[in-house]
Amino acid sequence: MSGSAPPRGEEHGALDELAVGWALHALEPEEETLFAAHLPGCSRCRGTVAETGEVLAALAGALPAAVPSDRLREALRAAAGDTMQVPGRPAPGAGVPDGASPGGASPGGDTGRPGPETVPTGFPEPFVPVAGRPAVPPTAWRRVLPNALVATAVAAILALGTWNVVLSTARDEARATVARQADVVNALLTPGRATVVPLSGDDGAPVATVVTRNGEVQVVNHGLPVNDPGEVTYVLWGTSDGAAVALGTFDVVSPRMDLQAVGSAATGLDEHDGYGISLEPGRLAPSAPTDIVARGEVTN
Amino acid sequence: MRAGDRGAFEELCDRLGRRALALARRVLVDDAVAEEVLREAFLAVWRDPGAYDPASGSVRSWLMDLVHLRAVEAARSGPGRRRRPGEAPPLRASSGEEGAAGGGGPDPVRVALRALPDAEREALTLAYYGGYTQREVAALTGAPLGEVKSCVLAAVRRLHGELGAGPLGGALGSPAVAERPGR
Repeated sequence: MSGSAPPRGEEHGALDELAVGWALHALEPEEETLFAAHLPGCSRCRGTVAETGEVLAALAGALPAAVPSDRLREALRAAAGDTMQVPGRPAPGAGVPDGASPGGASPGGDTGRPGPETVPTGFPEPFVPVAGRPAVPPTAWRRVLPNALVATAVAAILALGTWNVVLSTARDEARATVARQADVVNALLTPGRATVVPLSGDDGAPVATVVTRNGEVQVVNHGLPVNDPGEVTYVLWGTSDGAAVALGTFDVVSPRMDLQAVGSAATGLDEHDGYGISLEPGRLAPSAPTDIVARGEVTN
Repeated sequence: MRAGDRGAFEELCDRLGRRALALARRVLVDDAVAEEVLREAFLAVWRDPGAYDPASGSVRSWLMDLVHLRAVEAARSGPGRRRRPGEAPPLRASSGEEGAAGGGGPDPVRVALRALPDAEREALTLAYYGGYTQREVAALTGAPLGEVKSCVLAAVRRLHGELGAGPLGGALGSPAVAERPGR
């Protein structure tokens, strides 16, 4: 490197730092939220993110080779066969070119350095079946909507009757996840007057949101751990005047955000002062909760 | 790939699978989780290849971004999932180590990394290879958060220049800051 001139747009320095931190996935949630709102309208920051991405991709190339297993390759091939592609849309660019040749700027480059990437991998190790592996947590929902904001987002969806996730435009990956959550959004947009009650865990962090509407109760899970349906079940409780009534049971089968209707056969599901969720052994709700993992009060 | 060409998808896996898995394994202590990260990232590409925007950089950087994001979120999802500093294997020594076509010369990325001031290199590698937030990096190194942010930006800017990356309209493509801290 050469020269000692100050960076262009010195007044932009703090945003440059945020742009690099964004590309590194190293920002705190509040910084991400702020920068995500700024990014779509700032060509300089979009450029900085892109330039940083090229540098980071080069850093990835400096790591010792890791050979994906045969089973992973087979799983990918099978999954591609089973996975529908997003229909054509007005693309921001050309999309992944056939043959997927990495293009654009490439620091360190594919041209300046003999390309290990051009060597087929072979994928020669055993693949661990999905069911036996630790779950990978959801990604884009937590990036686009930090956990603490999910309950607010649910309320906003219901209030506005539309979903304008501006932040999702900042991340391609978010689009895919947003698509996966379409069912949740559609369910939340069901007409009717709704009450939204965020439920928090012992540490105060929101983990679920109860939505009551037209005598029905839905639970939007965005932080409850996956439970083992063979051992335990979650129970939703309605609380009024210090008494708790079991409204229904449900399981969390995926760490991803999900919405479930609970207690379809009961009456008065939406007439409580508060709601709680407990984790109970077996498949049936006990007469009283034993281990409350989340609770919240109706505030309006 | 946008036309559903699975051959193109498999070629992408061949081209970038090693690098992507190496990245995920660098961040994550559990190889099975790293493979799941890789699987999810590649499937995201297959599901929506039109999401790639050439104006945002290369396919390689796009994919590595997907892999890194998923890897750091997996690392942050619970204790013991992140590979701790000092546990990770060293960077490869030469450009030829990864494949038969390599020339065997000193890896330019490694050379550029080693040329960074210690504070910049430490901050950048903890954030990228370690998957730590800048605030966590500050806690780990004892440096003020503002200094960590400055170091990371300076490190990326230097590497961008040293590695001969082309400008994409951002701050790194402008005339660089070259003054190194006196350490």
